[in-house]
Order: sequence, then structure tokens, then C-alpha cells
Amino acid sequence: MAEINNSTGPAPSILSIRSLQKSFDSVSVLRDISLSVERGNVVSIIGPSGSGKSTLLRCASFLEHADGGDILYDGEYALHNGVYANKAELARFRTRFGLVFQNFQLFPHYSVLRNVSEAPILHGENKDEVYARALELLKKMGLEGREKAYPYQLSGGQQQRVAIARALCMRPEILFFDEPTSALDPELTGEVLKVIRQLAEEKMTMVVVTHEMPFAKAVSNRVIFMADGVIVEQGDPKEVFDNPREERTRQFLRVFER
Amino acid sequence: MKKTILILLALVMTASLLCPAAFAADKTFVMGIDPEYPPFSYMGDDGEYTGFDVEVCKAVCDYLGWKFEVFGVNWDEKLVQLDSMECDCVWSGMTILDSMKEAGYVISAPYYDNTQVLVVKADSGFKSSKDLAGKIVAVQLGTSGESLLNGDLVDMAKTFDSVLTCDSFLKCFTELQGGAVDAVFVDMPVAASYVAKHDGLAIIDEQLGAEQYGIAFRSGDAELCKAVDDAVQALVANGTYAKIAEKEEYADIVNNLLFLNEDAEAPAAETPAA
Amino acid sequence: MSLMTMIVKMSEGLGKTCAIFFLTLLFSLPLGMIVALLRMSKVKLVSAVTRFFITVLRGTPLMLQLLAVTYGPYYLFGATVARNKLIPVVIAFSINYAAYFAEIYRGGIESIPVGQYEAAEVLGYTRVQTFMRIILPQVIKRIMPSVTNEVVTLVKDTSMAFTVSYQEMFTIGKQIANSQTSFTPFVVAGAFYYIFNVIVDYVMGRIEKRLDYYR
Repeated sequence: MAEINNSTGPAPSILSIRSLQKSFDSVSVLRDISLSVERGNVVSIIGPSGSGKSTLLRCASFLEHADGGDILYDGEYALHNGVYANKAELARFRTRFGLVFQNFQLFPHYSVLRNVSEAPILHGENKDEVYARALELLKKMGLEGREKAYPYQLSGGQQQRVAIARALCMRPEILFFDEPTSALDPELTGEVLKVIRQLAEEKMTMVVVTHEMPFAKAVSNRVIFMADGVIVEQGDPKEVFDNPREERTRQFLRVFER
Repeated sequence: MKKTILILLALVMTASLLCPAAFAADKTFVMGIDPEYPPFSYMGDDGEYTGFDVEVCKAVCDYLGWKFEVFGVNWDEKLVQLDSMECDCVWSGMTILDSMKEAGYVISAPYYDNTQVLVVKADSGFKSSKDLAGKIVAVQLGTSGESLLNGDLVDMAKTFDSVLTCDSFLKCFTELQGGAVDAVFVDMPVAASYVAKHDGLAIIDEQLGAEQYGIAFRSGDAELCKAVDDAVQALVANGTYAKIAEKEEYADIVNNLLFLNEDAEAPAAETPAA
Repeated sequence: MSLMTMIVKMSEGLGKTCAIFFLTLLFSLPLGMIVALLRMSKVKLVSAVTRFFITVLRGTPLMLQLLAVTYGPYYLFGATVARNKLIPVVIAFSINYAAYFAEIYRGGIESIPVGQYEAAEVLGYTRVQTFMRIILPQVIKRIMPSVTNEVVTLVKDTSMAFTVSYQEMFTIGKQIANSQTSFTPFVVAGAFYYIFNVIVDYVMGRIEKRLDYYR
């Protein structure tokens, strides 16, 4: 596990989380979670449903309000001892990450191009530059020529790829995926995973909550296994998958072996 | 209760003293009506003639022990038909005209007042309908006042800035008190009772479209007329009259029945415009 | 009175009927949104008070509200009754319809998945941008059928202005009916309302069609 450097080290982790706490009505969902993500790495988070992995991502992207702990982006505190930075600072932190949802959450009344390009334009970027970038991203996602389509005209896999393009168009330093293929028909998961794999090859920093074990094993630099709100085990994917240290991990992985 | 009976007895005795055996006990009294003049006289759902006047007349006959009969007159020819003995009276929401008295007909005490007046704010300084030229006047939808403003009194209505038609007289008066209109054109009894209960209003001393209803008898029938008048008063005293007037179908006319609204009319008559 | 004269007379009131209709929509549609937002306020007191007013406005007859707005100030404070009845009529109608629209808006807003707000938040949309650009357009599409219903009802409700003697088409019709003892003006009024609503239906249908480009 990498050291947490906040001011002294030359290259702080893109994302550091320390002792993160979160409960919903006295039910503890995250208990003392600590992890960090290094530049260019892909971290997969696996675990049974209800283990808190989605909540962890949602806390990291400020969609859930954590009760305690620290969240740092590039060594800067977004959350310090359970206290959040002010609104303007949080807005600035938001530009550093992107989030891809399980249910895509595209804006149904916008064309593909507008879905991808509106946010950067609202942030004051030059329209033409954004459009050019958006079209390039769509091409990369295998959606060339579909920029005028509306989300309902696309398959689930295509919609999720638009959602990825939308997140990327903001030029985030780190991209979060919250079960990106769980809402897709099995035959459509491949095209989305392929895109994520391609991003990994380009050294995009990513945190992926997933149930796709072969994918996690093949693509990630590090795998985190969560259960009951704690990190049970983490490490090199080969070790975690082939030679898990913890009984809880073995139990979980056994289900996927068949 | 006892008191009422005593009064009744006294009235009956007085009546019998005043008309000593002038009419046979089994006398048939034929009432002449316009059968198409609701709610005073008309054909009811059961095909029998009814209406306020018919019911009162029936009660009078019961009271006097007469046999009651109805005869439908041709309204244009009513007085001719009365003279030719086809009926004993014309009693059907009939407006009392001076010409009738001049022709010698005996007319009963007026029982219904259709006089219209203008009600204004007491401090407005309006003294006659002419002062209301260019002003706004409220009138209740479906009342005689409304038909007068569109008919006989249309010339007066034309001098107003406009006529505001409200669907209740309460709204007419609220508009007046609230300053949205300058006058209310309304039935005299209604005006009198409202002005008596609310400060700051006055009735302009000018009877517009003044008319009253009465019963017409042949020129020689003064005694008959008196007997009927007295019997009606007896019915007023014993409450029968009010009981008839309270019926829902007479709601539109009850306020203008003179015998029931004498209290309200008195102050208005004595102190017109304040 | 000839049928033609009746129609001409009643048409004169049609302008006032239209005035009630358009002014009510002009004020109640935005006012309803403000009320809906107050109703959904996180401040408990604000939402409770708003909710109370909505239940009063929806739970009492519009006719009473018309009377209250027109004559209430006089009875309560001795204020002058408005000579131009269009003012109290439009106020009463706008408040009443705002209450109905508010509930329609609220239903529409609450039907939008939370994920839409979250997606916008992560992308850095401000709260106003999220509402105006992402939520509202979707809400409008979803509520169009209910709004059309209310607009059709409004056309017919304009006839209630007679209760405060505003001389709109139906009031004039009633006066003619009374003085002519004829039922014909009501038939004419019915025809007028029907034609009005056919137009409303057509216009609303066009708007719904224009929103049909997405699902």
C-alpha cells in the first residue's frame, strides 16, 4: 500500500481516503475505510452487495455526505476530520473527477453531442473546442455519426459509452465507475468493458466498482475486496484472486468460480 | 295559544257583525285568474291551478265557509269578463291602475308592492335619479328592477355610466358600500329592510316604476271586497298567510308582500332620503 | 331577440372571457412553480404553511374564493370594492390555479430520478442550471397532459366570474336568458366554450407534439 503524502512528498496520490465513516440512520455502512489511488492506476473494488463499495464511490464524489475521516485530492483536503471544504472549493474538486453511473443517467432531452459537451461549455470553455473534443471522444467510443441521436434511440451499451464520453469531456484526473455494466444485457457488457480497458491502456486513472471478476483481474493494478463496510483485503489482482489471504474473500470468490 | 284563539274569535265575531248574513253560508266564490302568471297564479304540475293568490283565496274561502272555484280569464278581457259575471273578482298579480278606480271597480287593499327605488350612500348627496347620470348602478339579475331598466325605464338607464348586474341583492349592496357602484336599483321592501339594518345608506325619495297589486271587484261589490279584505287580515293575524308565503316557490315575492313587511316599509315611507 | 343579436351581444363578453383566461395562465403558471418549490422546501415551516394554503385553495370552491378576493377586503378592512372586476377575478383565478399547477409541478419534479440531479452535480452544474436545464424541461414534458386538463377546465371556469358580476360572456348570456326567458343563450354559451376548447386542445396538442422528439 502506498504511503500517504500530503505536503512533503513530491507526488501525492490523486485520491487519498483516510478513516472514512458513513452511516445511514445508525447503520454503519463505511467503517474506517482508508485507501489511495496513484496516478495512472486502475483500482477495482469488489464485494457482495451491501458491502459499501458504491457508497464509498459516492462519498468520494460528494454525492453522499461522509460522517468522519479525510478525503484528499492531490494532497488537498476536500474532507478533513469529517468537515467539508467550502462550496467553491468543492466545486473545484469536482472538476478533478468524473463518475459513470450504473444507470447511465444521460439527459434524455439532449442529443448525444449536447449530453457530452454542455457541462464544459457551461464551465466557460470555448464551444468549438469542446465540440471538437466531444466528437473525438465519441469516435473513440465507437459512436461516430451518432452525435445527433437522442439517448432513447441508443442501446444500453451505447448509452453507457456516451456517459463515459460525457465524463471524459470534463477532462477529469480520475474516473469513477459505479457498476458500469450491471444494468446492461450480458451481450452488451463487452463493448463497455472494452472501452474501459482501452482507457486503462492509455493510463487513465480509474476506480471501478464491479462484479466482472475476469475484467477486474485483467485490467486492474490493484483489487480491493470490501465486505460489511470494511476493506477485508487488497493487493495485486493475481494474489487476491488466485491466493486470497482472508476466508471472507475466498467465500466470496468461490461463488464466481463456477 | 289561548290568546290567539281569543283574537281569532274576536275577529270572526267582528267579521260576522260587519257583514250580517249578507252572504249565504254556501256561497260559491269564483276567482278570476290569469293561469299563466307564476308564482301568483298558474297551473301546477298536477294540472290544478295554484299559486300564491290562488292559495290565499282558497284559504279565504275556507275561512268564510264559501265554496271555492277558479276561472281562468283572458287577461286582456279580464274586466269585461268580471262585469259579465263570469267571475266574482280578478285576483292574479293584478297591478292597480287609476283607470280601474275611475271606471268604478272596487279595489281591495294593495297586498304586493312592486315599487322600485334607488339606494345610495347617505353621504353621497344624490337626491334624485337625475343625480346619477354618468354613475354606475347595480341591479339584481332577474328582478323587476332589471326588466324595468331594460324596458320602461331604459331612458333613465341610458343616463347611467353603466348598469352592473349582480346575482344577489346582497352583492348589489356590498358593491355600493364598498364604493364600486354609486346606487342600487331594488324593490322598495328589500331596500327598506336593508337600509334599516345597515348604517350610512339612504333611499332616494323617488318611486320608480311604482306599482302595487290588488283584487278587483265589480262596482257594486264593496261589501264582498270588505269581507275578503277582512278575511285576508284574519289570515295574516292567525299566521295562515305567512305559512303560505313561506313556501319555497314564493321566495321571490315574499319580500314584497305588504302585509308581511309592514315593519320594514314604515320607516322608509316616513324618512325617505336622509 | 334574434339569434344573431344574441351571438353578437355575447361575443362582446368573449373578450373579457379571453382576458380572464390568458391573464390567469400568464400569472398562475409561474406562480405555481414558486408555490411548488416552497411546498418542497426543506424548511419544515415553509413547506407546512404552503401545504396548508394549497389544501385551502384546492379544498374550497373557486366561487367562494372569488367572493373572498372581491368583497373580503371590504368586509375585513372596509377597503373599496374594485370597480374593474377583472382585477379581483384574475387574482382569485391565478391563486386558485397556481395551487393546482403547483401540485402538478411537484408531482412532475418528484417523478424525475435522483440520478439526474446527481449526474448534473458531478458534472458541475449549479443548482439553478440543474433545475432550469436538466429537470424543468423533462418536467414540462411529463406534466403536459395534466396541464392541458387544467387549461380546459379553466376555459369553463371563466363562467364563474359571473358570481362577482364581471360582465364576461356567460354573465351576459345569463342576463339575456333572464330577460328573454329563453334557453338559447345557454346553448350559444355552450357552443362558445366548446369552440374555445377545441382551439385549446389543438394548441396543447401541438405543444405536446413538439416535445415528442425524445422519450
